[in-house]
Amino acid sequence: MVEPGYVVEGFLPWSLAWLAPYIGAFILALAYIAGSRNDKLYWGVSLVSILASAIISTIAAARVLGGEPIYAKASGYWFPWIKVTLGTYIDGLSAVMALVVSWLSFLIALYSVKYMEGDWGLHRYFFFITFFVGSMQLVVLADNLLLLFIGWEGTGIASYALIGHWYTDEEEYWVGVPGRRALGQPMYFEPSHSAVRAILFTRIGDIGLLVGTAIIYLTVGTITIPELVQNAAAWIGALAAKGILPSLLLIFTLGALGKSAQFPFHEWLVTAMTGPTPVSALIHAATMVKAGVYFILRFAPIIIVGALAAGEAAKAQALDYFTIVAGLGAVTAFMMATMALVSNELKLILAYSTASQLGYMFIAGAAAGIIAYHGELEAALSSVMAGLSHLVSHAVFKASLFLIAGWLIHVAHNRFIDTMGNYAKYMKLTAFSLWLAGLSLAGLPPFSGFFSKELVIYYAEEAGIGPVLWLAVITAGLTAAYTLRMIIRILHLPPREEGHGHEPHEAHPIMLGPYLVLALASIILGLAWGQVSGVLSKAAQLTAAIGEAVSLQVKFAGLTYIVIGLVLASMGVVGFLYMAARVDFMGIVSRSTAARMIHDFLYDRWYINSIYYIVFVGGFTYIMLSLQLVDSLIDLLYHSAIPLLAALGAAALRTLHRGRTDYYLTLYIYFASLALLLIYLYWR
Amino acid sequence: MAYLGAPILWITILAPVVLAVVGLLLRDNSGKTYRFLAYTGAFLLFIPAVLVLYYSYTGALAAGIIDPVIADLSSYRIGRMMLVLDGLSSPVVLGISVVTALVSVYSIRYMTHRIREMEEHGEKVPGFEVYYALYAGFAASMLGMAYASNLILFFIFLELSLLTSFALIAYYGYGDRGRISLLYFVWTHIAGALFLAGVLYYGLNRGTFDVVVEMDGAVGYIAPSPSYQYLDLAVAAIILGLLVKMAVFGVHMWLPYAHAEAPTPVSALLSPNLIGIAGYALARFVYPLFPGIIEGYKTLLLSISILTIVYGGLVALRQVDFKRFLAYSSVSQMGYMLLGLATLTSMGIGGAMLHYLSHAIGKAVLFMVAGVFITELGTRDITRMGGLARRYPILAAVTLLGFMHLVGIPPALGMWSEVLIVYGIFDGVQVTGQAVLWGITLVLILAFMVTAAYSFVAMRRIFFGPPRIEASEYMDDFKATIVLVGVLGVFFFISIGTLSEPLRVASELLVRVMGG
Repeated sequence: MVEPGYVVEGFLPWSLAWLAPYIGAFILALAYIAGSRNDKLYWGVSLVSILASAIISTIAAARVLGGEPIYAKASGYWFPWIKVTLGTYIDGLSAVMALVVSWLSFLIALYSVKYMEGDWGLHRYFFFITFFVGSMQLVVLADNLLLLFIGWEGTGIASYALIGHWYTDEEEYWVGVPGRRALGQPMYFEPSHSAVRAILFTRIGDIGLLVGTAIIYLTVGTITIPELVQNAAAWIGALAAKGILPSLLLIFTLGALGKSAQFPFHEWLVTAMTGPTPVSALIHAATMVKAGVYFILRFAPIIIVGALAAGEAAKAQALDYFTIVAGLGAVTAFMMATMALVSNELKLILAYSTASQLGYMFIAGAAAGIIAYHGELEAALSSVMAGLSHLVSHAVFKASLFLIAGWLIHVAHNRFIDTMGNYAKYMKLTAFSLWLAGLSLAGLPPFSGFFSKELVIYYAEEAGIGPVLWLAVITAGLTAAYTLRMIIRILHLPPREEGHGHEPHEAHPIMLGPYLVLALASIILGLAWGQVSGVLSKAAQLTAAIGEAVSLQVKFAGLTYIVIGLVLASMGVVGFLYMAARVDFMGIVSRSTAARMIHDFLYDRWYINSIYYIVFVGGFTYIMLSLQLVDSLIDLLYHSAIPLLAALGAAALRTLHRGRTDYYLTLYIYFASLALLLIYLYWR
Repeated sequence: MAYLGAPILWITILAPVVLAVVGLLLRDNSGKTYRFLAYTGAFLLFIPAVLVLYYSYTGALAAGIIDPVIADLSSYRIGRMMLVLDGLSSPVVLGISVVTALVSVYSIRYMTHRIREMEEHGEKVPGFEVYYALYAGFAASMLGMAYASNLILFFIFLELSLLTSFALIAYYGYGDRGRISLLYFVWTHIAGALFLAGVLYYGLNRGTFDVVVEMDGAVGYIAPSPSYQYLDLAVAAIILGLLVKMAVFGVHMWLPYAHAEAPTPVSALLSPNLIGIAGYALARFVYPLFPGIIEGYKTLLLSISILTIVYGGLVALRQVDFKRFLAYSSVSQMGYMLLGLATLTSMGIGGAMLHYLSHAIGKAVLFMVAGVFITELGTRDITRMGGLARRYPILAAVTLLGFMHLVGIPPALGMWSEVLIVYGIFDGVQVTGQAVLWGITLVLILAFMVTAAYSFVAMRRIFFGPPRIEASEYMDDFKATIVLVGVLGVFFFISIGTLSEPLRVASELLVRVMGG
């Protein structure tokens, strides 16, 4: 194994890749406090700073993929106490990530200029978008864990603000059907409510990440990623010797599970749809949820290499960890796909599909660890890169899908697909884009989504954990089904309900451009998969702890044909049911009890949300009430009982002093005799 | 360098007091005088912050600096009364200085409003100059506590701070302020008496009340206390006294009343600054003197701290009065300070001191925001708020920043204190197996989640949802001070390297003194 060599360079200019958006956000904050409300200034600064980041990332990527990784670092420490450096570390993995993040963010910000035109919160919006991009770039470029954590938390607070962007909570910005309840719990969420959910759900995991960071630092004395790679065997071995490796890694990964909305932390992502649609595109395609996947892809090779070098105990414990992560990924992928089948909110369908596709990426990262345990290191590292390739292709088509959704919801003036229909007649280019991006999501060859998903499934098979593999395969079929259902309902069938939308027409070029470009990219990337996989393989060669070329060509074997067959079959069935047979599914659901139970179970998200509310919110409400009672009791003790006792004592003492001479005299005689008696006894 | 060339530390304490006397002598009830007093006072009170930043930057603070004016009472077996400033006290001094200086300016409009309001209700109320005299005395005495090297000197400043804050609540407080100020006075004096009793027992046996001394040109500690009969009882009294001052779970009963009903600028000082000093005193005086006894308290203190975090946070969630909510949140935040302290590690202790500063900034911002709503909307009832972000966008942003300090989200300083405390915990507790690891992690998740929950839920209840109150935001020095406090918190976050170095040196020295 050859570690990619690097020479430490000055902090600037490479660090501008994440610093530029932060500087932009800082300027916007100052402008806001100074009282400027000029719209052009806000989107102008935002676009320029994100573009600057994208350009620097591109130059950096060109250099890194040319064979020269970058480590740009400020001299000394930022926070010497716990050795926090201020540095930008760009290897193959982070170069590809930064490229995807920055350019997608730029396109989305560009789209937002038109989308957010005239919005009362435009200034805040562009401030947080810029801050968001800076934070995400920091996550992928940070050279140490705490710098990564800062970016990580930055994406958290930015997503909080953007999901709750329309915090005045008008009904049109809600997610879920107003009034709908499951197990007695409301299934509709206002923007301000969704924002709280997002930050609380993700923060649970963030504490785990912080704990993991702390223990790693105390074990090995560094949190710098290159040094963690170099000392991988040492710290992984030390933790394995204590027997805490699997738990520690899982706790360390909680942050990634939370950010990437993996079961059981997936609930925040679906309600995050209350934000403006470009925000959803940003969260789902480029930033936030991809942070968790990046984390897995970054650390899986380090753990694999470290565990292999540290011996059998470490290998076995790492296997436990990877198996759990693979399981969670597979459950998430399947579970979210089933929910997407019945949803009738456009953005919600896309949100389910995001969590589901993220599950694939987690499977890929975790499968790597399992394959490595069986001794095939090269296949293991290829599996990691399969995760990266799915991340890239998903980022492209999902950004496109969300940007299209933003326009369609604007046209329909409604977030439900029931009021959309026959749009293919009015918007040729949008329909074309939706088909391209959608087929990529469905995983049809030769779209990029096909290749990357196929790779993940291939390595899931290599890992040899049956349930994970079969869930991944079934999910591929479900994905094709819900995608086609969505496309047909929107583009080719008449609307189910009357809407109050505008006359359908094509979007403004500034909005149309980004999603058309991205949709085309999803097919071009697929057609040129040979070149794309070459680049990713090159990136692998230059990634810390991987350091060798991997093969990302799809090997057409038995399972590949099964999956293709499954995808085609489910698309055929859906196409037949909707277009030819014109089955009225909602009619069936309203007539048949069994059908309704299944529908409600899926529509209400397996009741998981309700269970969380009943157990946690309900539980804590109960605890809070009891604590309130405890607090009153404490108050009563200190401010009623003790004063009362004191008052009684005082009253008792006062009775001894009632001002009568005979009484005093009697007492005097008694006590004097007592004193004399005691003195006598003592002297005797 | 240990000794300063001039008695700068004494000057920073005495200057505000002199100003207060000048104000009383002027007896001029015009707004111009108010502004003169408040702005000059702000300038004077800000000097300690400049000292801390300057000496951190030059590196002199790592060794500590000592004021050359020393009252030597060794012959009376009291010791040498010195003022010192070192890494351990630097976050405390910084917190007191920044908050008292900016709240001084903030007071102008708030107290003008409050005094007029009380006069309209037909109450006789002392004027602004009296308020300011008490305010300056209160601020100076807190600085004195942070500087004090000797237990008796510390206690004198503690008494002064209690008397001045008592008078402030009694004169200008809300609600049943006579009763509440008395309640505050009695409980904090019980705490003070416990502390004093323990201190006297120890000091009279030892023959000196010195704790911090000059050692090889740097700030050091005298040797740990020898063992005396009943010493553990005396130490228990000292710790209990300090815990009551800190208002941890079980002995927090006085805090929600006092901090909610005090005039808001005073709440902004009481809540983060004054109670946190008790935590600082634990580290400054109790740890170096009684390391052996403290070791025995470790588990107890760790448990109380977690209990306090969760309890204070959950009770805060139920509050509908903005200021009472903040008061319970302060109880919870003291849990974090105690958590760091109870680890008995340098990172934990340093993290606790840093948390003093983050909490001072965050909570000051939040109380000041509550004060804006009291003056401009006439309410502190959260149920009547909602949608206020539409009316007060900048205030909403700075409130979020304030909460970020409590929750520990960058770019707020609170993140660094959270990181240090968590690192300290795993440094101080042996992780022997997976069960222990999960146990600690889950407890931490619970604690941090409770804080995050009450912060973001309160944010939503106050600022989000449909707007219900008509108002519009305009900026003046009243609100600018709030923004400035928040911005300073971000500045401290960025300059953590410079700020934390003296603190690291001092914390590591302390742990060395404790024999760790």
